[in-house]
Amino acid sequence: MPMKGRFPIRRTLEYLQKGEVVFKKSVKIMTVNYNTHGDLSEGARKFVFFNIPQIQYKNPWVQIMMFKNMTPSPFLRFYLDEGEQVLVDVEGKDHKEITNHVKMILGKSDKVLEAEALAKMELSNPANFGPKKYFLRECISEVEGQVPHPGFVPLPKEMTGKYRAKLAAASDE
Amino acid sequence: MSTRQASVHAKWIIGQVIGTKMKKTAKVRVTRLVLDPYLLKYYNKRKTYFAHDPLEQCTIGDVVLLKALPEKRSKHVNHELAEIVYKVGQVVDPLTGKRVAGTQYLEPLTESTEDTEVSLMEKLEQLNITASTPPSAS
Repeated sequence: MPMKGRFPIRRTLEYLQKGEVVFKKSVKIMTVNYNTHGDLSEGARKFVFFNIPQIQYKNPWVQIMMFKNMTPSPFLRFYLDEGEQVLVDVEGKDHKEITNHVKMILGKSDKVLEAEALAKMELSNPANFGPKKYFLRECISEVEGQVPHPGFVPLPKEMTGKYRAKLAAASDE
Repeated sequence: MSTRQASVHAKWIIGQVIGTKMKKTAKVRVTRLVLDPYLLKYYNKRKTYFAHDPLEQCTIGDVVLLKALPEKRSKHVNHELAEIVYKVGQVVDPLTGKRVAGTQYLEPLTESTEDTEVSLMEKLEQLNITASTPPSAS
């Protein structure tokens, strides 16, 4: 049973996570003005259809608003902190060009993103054990090849405490 | 306890004015895109904010930029009007600076400095074209 809709791939987590544009901290609002008809707005329409969900997924705290058929030419407008505004003309551009341009002017660069991912990885060390919420594993017994909990699998007789105590007592006598 | 919080989470927001019946206050509807967890599609979710508008310059239908106030003005008013982005009926295209209605320009794009009253004949007279003496034919 295939997914419903025109391009249902847009509604997959994998597609959303592949979004490239991560805005800098100062970007607060993004506004897209485009037209529903006309060749010049075609790129803007495709941008709204394909790329806006990716951008919103990666930037959940940026408010994105769409305005249709308000002006003859399509454009993007970003409102940054301290009242700064950035106007981007997208008339006649392709949706890929628009995303690349936006990434270049207001997105975090690849280096910064990699550094952030590395810092995040360093915080969580897989060698630590603890509650499932914060760590990978809770106990060494969860690792394959290690002694499992006696609650699940009974220990071999030689490893139980009482057998060892009996042996020790027998050897003492 | 009167611990007034510094401000609200949203520092800058954009929305449409839906009510101006209160004195010096505008009711603004802000839409944010929220992901539906099952469909994985974004839908607009509305929220109304009250904004302080000291000059009462907003009308219903304006698109307005609000800025968070450093301190709460009253129980519900946490924002103030920063600027009117698109005034209803008088939208100005930011790229050209001309007034616009939908997909049409209301003002002509090219500014003509000539006086349109001047007729074509007068323009020709001004050019002063006279028949020059023909060069001596060999």
